[in-house]
Amino acid sequence: MFKSLLYKEWIKIRLVFWLALGISLLALINIFLKVRHDILFVDAANYWYSFLFRNQIYFSILKFLPFVIGLAVAIAQYIPETVNKRIKLTFHLPVSENGVLIRMHAFGALILLALFLVILGLFTAGSAIFFPSNIIRASLITMLPWFLGGMATYFLVALILLEPMWIFRGLYTAVATGFVAIFFTGASIGAFGPVLLPLTLITLLLSCVVLFSGYRFRKGEM
Amino acid sequence: MYAIECKNLTHYYGKKLVYENLSFNVEEGKILGLLGKNGTGKSTTINILNGFLQPFSGECLIYGENTQALTPDTKRRIGFLIEGHIQYSFMNIHQIEKFYSGFYPDWNSAPYWELMSKLKVTPKQKISTMSCGQRSQVALGLILAQDPDLLILDDFSMGLDPGYRRLFIDYMREYAKAEHKTVFVTSHIIQDMERLIDDVMIMDYNKILAQQPVEQFMNSFRQFNITLASPDQKVDFDGIAVNIEKVKDKLEFYTYSAEDEVKNYLLSEGIEYTSFEEKKMTLEDAFIGLTRKY
Repeated sequence: MFKSLLYKEWIKIRLVFWLALGISLLALINIFLKVRHDILFVDAANYWYSFLFRNQIYFSILKFLPFVIGLAVAIAQYIPETVNKRIKLTFHLPVSENGVLIRMHAFGALILLALFLVILGLFTAGSAIFFPSNIIRASLITMLPWFLGGMATYFLVALILLEPMWIFRGLYTAVATGFVAIFFTGASIGAFGPVLLPLTLITLLLSCVVLFSGYRFRKGEM
Repeated sequence: MYAIECKNLTHYYGKKLVYENLSFNVEEGKILGLLGKNGTGKSTTINILNGFLQPFSGECLIYGENTQALTPDTKRRIGFLIEGHIQYSFMNIHQIEKFYSGFYPDWNSAPYWELMSKLKVTPKQKISTMSCGQRSQVALGLILAQDPDLLILDDFSMGLDPGYRRLFIDYMREYAKAEHKTVFVTSHIIQDMERLIDDVMIMDYNKILAQQPVEQFMNSFRQFNITLASPDQKVDFDGIAVNIEKVKDKLEFYTYSAEDEVKNYLLSEGIEYTSFEEKKMTLEDAFIGLTRKY
C-alpha cells in the first residue's frame, strides 16, 4: 500500500523534481563559472576579503531557489488533490486518513530534502575548489535559513491548499507570507547562525500543520 | 442485515436546516436510489456516508461502524464513485490500475481491462484528456476490479450521453445482482434509475417523502388526469391528494388512493368534472408528482 501511495505521489512530483534539479545544477554551474572568472581577474585573497568583510555574496542566485522549489513541489503534490475535491479519493483509500496524509507529506518533504541536500552537497564540493573551509562554513550558515524557508514554504502551502474554506486560505496565506519572509530577511554573512536551531525546530513543527487542514476537510467545513 | 443504517440524522448549513431526525436503512444486496431535487440533501447524505461531513446530530453506520471513523477494513469493502466520475486524472489507465491494485488484496483486474479494451484510448493517454464517457468507464472499471460489497455512486449519470448511461446501468445492474452487492445511488436522470434500482428513497426539503421498493411505489402512487367542468373550480389540497397540478380546467391529481376513493372525494367536495382517467406513470412522472414541478 505504501509503495502504491509513493507511486502516485512520484507521478505528481517527478516533473517538478527533474526541473528543480536541472535548474539548480544550472544555477550552481553559473555560480562557480563566475567565481572562477572573478578569481582569475581579482586575486583570490581579495575575492575572499570582499566576501567576508564587504558582504558580497557570490551565491545570492541561490537565495530564492529553495522557496521556489518548496512552492512548486507543494503545488504539484496538492493542487491535483484539491481540484474537484479529489482528496476524497485519497481519504477513501483503505488506510487511516491521517496515516495517508502523513505518508504523502513525508514523501514530499523527503523529495525536497533530497533536492536541497544535493544542492548543498554540490555547492560545498564546488566551493572547496576555490575557498578555504571557514568561507565554506560561513556560506552554509548563510544559506541554511533559505533552505529551511523552502521546507517551511512547502509545509505552509500544503496547509493552505488543503484548507477547504477560502477565507481561511486567505488568512493562512497572509500569516505564512509574513512568517516565511523571516527566513529570507537580508542580513550579513552568517548572521542567522545563532537562530538556526530555533528556525529548524519551528520548521519541524510546521511539518504537522497539514493534518489540521485534513481534519477540517473531513469534518465537512466549507 | 443492513449494509447502511442512518439514525436520526439532523444537519444544518449555518442556520439552514437540511433535514431533521432523518432515518433510513439499506438492506444488503439491494440497490437503493436516492432521489431528490437540488438542495434537498442528497450530497449531504453521501458526504456523511463517506465520512466527509460530520452531521449536527445522529449517526450513520456502514456494516456496523460509524462512518465518521471507518476502519481500513470496512473502507476496503466500499466502492465510491464521486460525482462527475472524478479520478486521478493525471494518471493513465495503466498507472491508475497499478496504483489501486496495491490497496486491495482481492483486486481483480480482468473486468477493468475488459472495459478498457472497449475504449478508444492510447495506453499512455492521461485520464484528463479523455471524454466524460470514457472517464466513467475508467471509474466503473476500477470499482468492478476492487469488487467491493457496497457501492456508493454519487450522480453517476452526470455528463454522460445516453449510450454511456445505458452501458453503465446495464453493467452495474448485472454485476450487483450476480455478485449480491449493495448499491446506494443518486442520479439526476430518473429514467435511468428505473432500470437500475430495487428500492427508492425520495427526499424533499427536510424530510423523506417515500422509501419503499420501486414496484410497490409505482403500484401504489397514482396520477389521475381530470378535466374540470369549470376552470374556475377550486380544488383543495387537503384530503387524499398528495399533490395537485392545475392548469385552467386540467387537473393532475396525485394520490396513494384508488380510483373509487378519488371519485368519492371529488363528489364529497362538490368538484364537477367532464373527464377522469388514470395515467400510467414512469418513475420520473411519479417523482415530479410527489415532489411537485417547482
